[in-house]
Amino acid sequence: MGKAASPGQLARAVVLGLGLALSAAAYAAAVTEEFQIQGLVSPASPKALAAALEEQLAVKVVGFDLRDTASGWPVMRVEFEEGAVTRDDVAAVIDQTEDPTGRMFKVHAGPPVLSVAPLAEEMTAAGTLGDPPSAALELTSPVEATSESLARGLKLYVANCVKCHGADGGGTGPSTHGIDTDPRKLWVWGSAGDAADGYLFSVISDGRTDMPPWGLVLSENERWDLVNYIKSLPPPQ
Amino acid sequence: MAEKIKPPRMRLPRKVKQDEVFKVKVRFDHPSFTGLGRADVDETKFNRAVPSRFIRNMLVYYGDDLVSRFRMSSGIADDPLFTFKLKAVKQAPIKVVFVDNEGERWESSKDLKIKT
Ligand code: HEC
Repeated sequence: MGKAASPGQLARAVVLGLGLALSAAAYAAAVTEEFQIQGLVSPASPKALAAALEEQLAVKVVGFDLRDTASGWPVMRVEFEEGAVTRDDVAAVIDQTEDPTGRMFKVHAGPPVLSVAPLAEEMTAAGTLGDPPSAALELTSPVEATSESLARGLKLYVANCVKCHGADGGGTGPSTHGIDTDPRKLWVWGSAGDAADGYLFSVISDGRTDMPPWGLVLSENERWDLVNYIKSLPPPQ
Repeated sequence: MAEKIKPPRMRLPRKVKQDEVFKVKVRFDHPSFTGLGRADVDETKFNRAVPSRFIRNMLVYYGDDLVSRFRMSSGIADDPLFTFKLKAVKQAPIKVVFVDNEGERWESSKDLKIKT
């Protein structure tokens, strides 16, 4: 070091100057990126993830939005200097980090995959259930749509159907998570005439794709009460 | 982390009589997550926390015929055991096929032997 003092100093000065210029440029380009995070399952998760990131990369975790985010996934905001670290670097570290509960964190890459398209084999299997026999379509309700029938229908509907078809018949009950076919909007039958009776009765009795065959569980009269009830559903306001 | 999921295991009676109703037991080690969890101690409602993963379908074949189809939701247990009955109408393999919500498929098959 001592011998080539002058060129060495010069070199160091150049390096220092360059470094300053670089870091000034980089500082100007500090970016904040948001990551949707899978695996933030325990109260200790955010801290553990932030610590791992700050230890392994020159980044700063500036905050978490754990609830009420637009996507429903928790969001983490990370600040880093553009050029020094990329979004992919941060994502890679997140994907290799383990939550204190033992699950891996993961950057969420899109809408949740609740169900991918069914396989051809599943489609064929679903198809084997077939259409209602035409004789069933001719039926009309032998149970009059009295207020007693509608009250029984409502009770049966709440107990058996709301989980899929929703209280208002809108087809968005909590159990729709995980089935492939959308439960139909039942309020569309609200002003249907007798001609719909046979159809509704046979679908309720025999089921179709994800619609269970209620003929196995509910009596004939109960199913007619349900038909009456469905035909009394008002359209949404 | 994620272990590889092995095909289901099936148990049949060693030998059945023609037209006897027999039991089939199927055990499938597959995880089940609804995908919901709580990301915060004070959290009063459930957030999305981990990707959902559950068995979607079990198809049962007897020879070439599809004889039963079980639909599952995210309410299914981890590593479920299924027991169901079939009637021994012919000597043929019994096959079960599982498909999960990510579209992954597993199967296993066993020969049904009929006492003569
Ligand atoms: C597991 C969820 C589920 C439950 C529980 C359920 N359904 Fe359904 N339902 C469906 C699905 C899915 C469809 C659409 C089926 C298709 O078209 O392939 C459907 C269709 C129907 C239809 C046909 C409507 C149309 O426009 O074609 C009627 C009627 C019906 N359901 C009535 C009922 C009644 C009454 C009950 C309660 C006894 C009930 N459902 C319970 C899922 C469900």
